[in-house]
Amino acid sequence: MTLHEKLAHIDKARELRSYHTEPAQMRAAAPGKVGELRLGFMLRNGRSVLHDLYRVTPLLVQRALYWDEAMPELPICSIISVGGGILQGDRYKIDISVGEGACAQVTSQGANRVHRMDANYASQYQAISLEDGAYLEYLPDFTIAYRGSRFINETDIVIADNATLLYGEMVLAGRKHHHAEERFGLDLLSMAVKVRRPDGRKLFAEKILIENGDPTIDFAAVMRGYDAFANIMCLTPPETATRIKARFATKFPVEDARALSGISRLPNAAGLMMRAVGIETRDVRKEVRHFWQIVREESCGRTLPEEFLWR
Amino acid sequence: MARDSTLKCSAPQGMVHLARLLQFSDTTLPIGSFAFSNSLESALQTGIVNDPASLLQYVEFILRQSARMDGVALLHAHRAAIAGTYDAILEADCELLCRRVGEEQQLMLTRVGKKLAELVLKITPSSTLERWLADIRTGATPGCFPIGQAIALAHMGADEAETFVMHQYGVASMILSAALRLMRIDHLDTQRILFKAQERANDDYLAVCSLCLDDMATFAPVFDVLVAHHTTTHVRLFMN
Repeated sequence: MTLHEKLAHIDKARELRSYHTEPAQMRAAAPGKVGELRLGFMLRNGRSVLHDLYRVTPLLVQRALYWDEAMPELPICSIISVGGGILQGDRYKIDISVGEGACAQVTSQGANRVHRMDANYASQYQAISLEDGAYLEYLPDFTIAYRGSRFINETDIVIADNATLLYGEMVLAGRKHHHAEERFGLDLLSMAVKVRRPDGRKLFAEKILIENGDPTIDFAAVMRGYDAFANIMCLTPPETATRIKARFATKFPVEDARALSGISRLPNAAGLMMRAVGIETRDVRKEVRHFWQIVREESCGRTLPEEFLWR
Repeated sequence: MARDSTLKCSAPQGMVHLARLLQFSDTTLPIGSFAFSNSLESALQTGIVNDPASLLQYVEFILRQSARMDGVALLHAHRAAIAGTYDAILEADCELLCRRVGEEQQLMLTRVGKKLAELVLKITPSSTLERWLADIRTGATPGCFPIGQAIALAHMGADEAETFVMHQYGVASMILSAALRLMRIDHLDTQRILFKAQERANDDYLAVCSLCLDDMATFAPVFDVLVAHHTTTHVRLFMN
């Protein structure tokens, strides 16, 4: 089986150069280790529907459900990883497209656990496209990078200038209560995103790179002792971005706080970026949810439903 | 004692070159960089920086981050300027702005870049810099400061290591100059911090000199929140 060209390209990343050994178990990128997911949403008879679904284990989406009481027209897909987490040698590819005027939400079933690795690495490539007037919330649950894990993720986004995308990652730096060396004990976490218009114009790019032994992790200007962080971008037209920004107050008290958060404008009028750090995942999730609510209210005129008790 | 009139004085090679590098490293270079502090006001208000030791850590962190972002674009632009591949200069310019989050950070990056180009063209002609400035004015390229610095210094014969060091020196001196006006610290301590922080120049250069533009990377969530905080902070060097 030939690996998709984007995944093959990721294999050549500079930061992976020390991790090309083959696992003693199934070889890297073997059948069964290459998960694929393709989700296509479109407007059909005035209703947003999941019209295209293709999946290859270990990634799974069953169907779109409409359970958001505050936005009942929103088709929601939950990504399920039947593998119980990301293992060494795994290769994932996720495509999400939202057609003109359609809306959708894609999330995940639970935390995305990147397990310890003693050979190779895990990679993921995502392609997200939004046509005119489309609205997508793609907010997977926390990624937990276990001690010794190696995970690289690249995301390409193509978005029309009047569409809105809320996308980002929330990361917990290891199973913090499991082992003394678990916190930021990961070998590699590399997360890159590139945003373009449909005509190819570049809007925004970012690469978050954390490598084993980074001496700055606990610098006051980096993690300041916090264990969880989030980068959530809202790609939206400038007038919507201005309204969102006006409603979100930066949270950075002088006294010790459970979480810090703030939003800044992206270059090329692409939208906004919310950053947050916190002690526990719930502290960061609270900041993300606050931003999410404002984005939805200003973009769709809908609010968020009450949070589930079990989340 | 009278000097032996038979001795001939010969100037070492490169004295003018060195003098020019010093001129363009000077913090008084009128390009407006004195007005920026890399969010130091917010770092002080939130307790990230509160004494000389934490200021040193802040400067070292900014230098590390700057090397891995702006430094990479600077080196690519410098190589492109030397090779005469103008499109590669524009590519580095675009890629760098694409990675700058925060309206004030974007403003600083492009305003100072344009000012530098205008200044250098008043002093010495450079066809590449002239073309770049014209493209900034038409909106064809953003005009990021490290790119202008790379073009100007390549034009003056500075090699890429010298250009990198001058850029990094400028970043450190910008923060320390702001620190003198914003916190209880004297000139002796800021010079000591500058001297110490410059020890990392070699390692930072080696860490980034072989990186491609796609390798520009960062990780500093608290600093990113500081950048957001800085746009609304009440103590500032200058009001926008």
